[in-house]
Amino acid sequence: MSKTLTKPNTVKARAELALNDEFLRKAVKFTTERLRNGKKNASAEHGNWDEWRERGRQIRLHTIAHLDYYLNMFVNNARANGVHVHFAETGAEAVRIALEIAKHKQAKTVVKSKSMVSEELHLNHALEEIGVEAIETDLGEYIIQLAGETPSHIVIPAIHKNRHQIAELLSEVAGEKLAADTTVLAGFVRKKLRENFLEADIGMTGCNFAIAETGSMVLFENEGNARMVTTLPKTQITLMGMERIIPSFQDLEVMATLLPRSATGQKLTMYMSCITGPRREADADGPDEMHIIIVDNGRSLQLGDPEFQELLNCIRCGACLNACPVYRHIGGHAYGGTYSGPIGAVLTPALNKNVAEWDDIANASSLCGACYEACPVKIPLHEMLIYLRRRKVESGYGNKLESAGMKGFASIMRSAKRYRAALGVGKLGQKLVVRGGSIRTKLGPLKGWNAYRVTPSLPKTSFRQRFAALDEEIRQGLNEMSPEMRSRMERIVKQREQGKGGHGHG
Amino acid sequence: MKVSMFITCLSDALFPRVGEAMVRVLAKYGVRLDFPEIQTCCGQPAFNSGYWEEARASARTILDAFEESDFVIAPSGSCIGMIHHYPKLFENDPVQLERSRRLQGKSYEFTQFLVQVLGVTDVGAEFPHKVTYHPSCHGSRLLGVKDEPMELMKNVKGLEFVPLPFAEDCCGFGGTFAVKMADISGAMVAEKADHVKETEAEVLVGLDMACLMNIAGHLRYRNEPVRVMHLAELLAEGANLL
Amino acid sequence: MAETDREWLAKLEAQSRAKQEAFMNGIAQRLKRPRVTEAPAHPFRGAPDFWNAFEWTPEERIERFSDNWRSVGGHVARLAGYEDVRSFIAAKANEMGARYIIRQNERELADLKLEEALPDAVVSVWNSDPDTNWKARSAEADFGIVMADYAAAYTGTVAVLSSKDKGRSVSLLPTVLMIVIPAERIRTRLGEVLIGFDRAGRENLPAGIHFISGPSRSSDIENDLTIGVHGPGIVYALVVG
Repeated sequence: MSKTLTKPNTVKARAELALNDEFLRKAVKFTTERLRNGKKNASAEHGNWDEWRERGRQIRLHTIAHLDYYLNMFVNNARANGVHVHFAETGAEAVRIALEIAKHKQAKTVVKSKSMVSEELHLNHALEEIGVEAIETDLGEYIIQLAGETPSHIVIPAIHKNRHQIAELLSEVAGEKLAADTTVLAGFVRKKLRENFLEADIGMTGCNFAIAETGSMVLFENEGNARMVTTLPKTQITLMGMERIIPSFQDLEVMATLLPRSATGQKLTMYMSCITGPRREADADGPDEMHIIIVDNGRSLQLGDPEFQELLNCIRCGACLNACPVYRHIGGHAYGGTYSGPIGAVLTPALNKNVAEWDDIANASSLCGACYEACPVKIPLHEMLIYLRRRKVESGYGNKLESAGMKGFASIMRSAKRYRAALGVGKLGQKLVVRGGSIRTKLGPLKGWNAYRVTPSLPKTSFRQRFAALDEEIRQGLNEMSPEMRSRMERIVKQREQGKGGHGHG
Repeated sequence: MKVSMFITCLSDALFPRVGEAMVRVLAKYGVRLDFPEIQTCCGQPAFNSGYWEEARASARTILDAFEESDFVIAPSGSCIGMIHHYPKLFENDPVQLERSRRLQGKSYEFTQFLVQVLGVTDVGAEFPHKVTYHPSCHGSRLLGVKDEPMELMKNVKGLEFVPLPFAEDCCGFGGTFAVKMADISGAMVAEKADHVKETEAEVLVGLDMACLMNIAGHLRYRNEPVRVMHLAELLAEGANLL
Repeated sequence: MAETDREWLAKLEAQSRAKQEAFMNGIAQRLKRPRVTEAPAHPFRGAPDFWNAFEWTPEERIERFSDNWRSVGGHVARLAGYEDVRSFIAAKANEMGARYIIRQNERELADLKLEEALPDAVVSVWNSDPDTNWKARSAEADFGIVMADYAAAYTGTVAVLSSKDKGRSVSLLPTVLMIVIPAERIRTRLGEVLIGFDRAGRENLPAGIHFISGPSRSSDIENDLTIGVHGPGIVYALVVG
């Protein structure tokens, strides 16, 4: 949690902080551009990207649609491999189970590789409270843990920190001044965490994918820390969102093709580990005891909901963050939850069935659709944001002022007569604020808009007022349509009627 | 054959010249646009903000206006995009749902109609200026309008095309977003304007007046002399029709 | 009242099994249909068909594998036979002043007779005696030497499987990693390796299957790429044959 005394509690207020932080904006911009270009190049080089996306989407849709079958299969197979499987409906339940294991093992330290679920559960905090030291080992996560902050990006959690800030944090741990040089800093962390890896009682991981047919779990990473925490400590605890299932290793090939390219533009992460149970009797490394905690925490709420079930397709690649122009300007903390960017804007409210608690996060979007275009499994996030907005309004939590405005909108737009009258009123009313053909006033509803723009004034006549005269003029000098063109148009109408043509989305 | 103009409330009230340009360009090919007067607004502002009852009230005027049309053309990818949402908006009303599907099948953004339906890629225009192009989000991503405007511009004599850096990035309008999240929107449009300046273009052209109004508003605010216009206006002017 | 480990785990398992049915029933209920208990038809299993037909010649595979490995900062040596592997490793060890070497307990590696080639170094063989702390031994090692069980050229990846004789630590903890890859083991696509595990079946899988595509790395500090964060920073792919 951040150490600041007062935290702003709306997306807008947090965004304002972010927009005024020059370094943050530069860092986020640089990072997202680098990752976005990486993805573009990698997917172009691989080719047939859209086919692969559709494949990934189908595999995920199929698995989620049969989640009871595949999850059950996974659990039975994992148990057969010697894994201790636990079920947690709520975040609190998951924490309780994890703490019970830690207590029973009399654990003093837990080394953790990246797990968004553990962030969701605020698990580190819970462990600290019972006197267990939880050490993040992913370089970026380690840094923000020292700083007492939350991640600002799903894949690169500490992009909001500069090297001097990082050097300061690490120097404190080292007990000596470390140079603000990447190699030096990374070298220190390697040495320091080695000790932790070798001494820790428990290794804790997240789970990228769980393979139903064999009960295996898969971890993608570049640093090697996930391998460390699943090889060295005697006990392993894996936190797994219940939707992380895929049927087989064959399906893993598709995910392994989509995920690294979408996240960072890599063909494959440096390490991809498939772990099938604890160590075998004769193995000389690997955990003696392995636990998997399957977490629901609002995920099952999306099942059976045609508007949000696809949300469970998400493979947490972060491509939507890198594509989002809003995220690029405000960074991850402005979203106020565990998950940021477009996926966060949808996931955070969707996992929480209490609409009263939803903040304005779904409004932090211009609905440009870049997220949908970037998503390797084609989640229509840009549409889900609208559904969230609608649910908020329909539950009675819409903004009062906005609701009134919309009622006004409807009463005018329901009839052309009223609309024409409103235009007339507008033309009169604007006389108060038009200067030199433009409107620059920053009063009332124009305050936000005109803080950055000059608004044009309403022209003397609208299009519909001009049309009659225009049409008359056109009619007189109208050219004859060429027969080819006419038959082209007629053909299109005919195809449409036969159900063959018709004009859908591009 | 009935080819109808869907003017969109924005162009109707603020940019009627765009509508006029469309009428004149299409008239050149013998297409006489009719204008069903009962149309008001596609309903997008209410729809995007989650006020679907209110959106339906407005959308019904569009369904009514174009019931008899064979082709419906608008100078906006986002308003046509909104029509594509009508089946969802009316999913619980079987009658309107059917009408929505039919309307969706016959609605076109202006350049889509010119190129795909009429087969026109050269309107015989001359426009000797340095021009850059902003592809609006809904038009390019959701309707797939990418090649049509490029082909049309390619055939304009004397037009010097300069690609806009990061063209596909949103301009920050997003309807009520520009008002509700004014500072974020402001940051986005500032970035877009910076890219426009980078091109050193004399003219910024596009297919959606909402985006163009947004970018132009910021350029004005910064006293930048770039001329901002809809592609229909550029083509009409260039072909001496306007 | 401390339960023994076994009692405690048994208790947890009973709780878990009780919850399992409820969990799955809950899912079926939300999906508004009865529980699915038979395997559903999965028409989109694995990669698209056109991809499964994609293949490079053996020589192309070696070339592309090497290109990919190098592009992420790994080193490649193409060696004719195991004699050359021996000389190569010995030369590198001398060059880098490597004193502690650990290798998997595999026949091909034993045949290298590294103890003779490097008389001044300490060469350990994974899990060759029950009293040594092998994890610690790996952590102390300058060089770790393993055989690649499988490899895929398209992504530049090797796969190593754990066993009594093959420790995960050997490819993870030492500073330098040497991976010996018999050329004929290099496939074109990752899927060619993965399908083998589907076919093998659950009971035949080892605890750890690790795919390695280069040296450990991170860009978490100001997007500045650094190599060798936790895993080996110097990795050699020795392609034999």
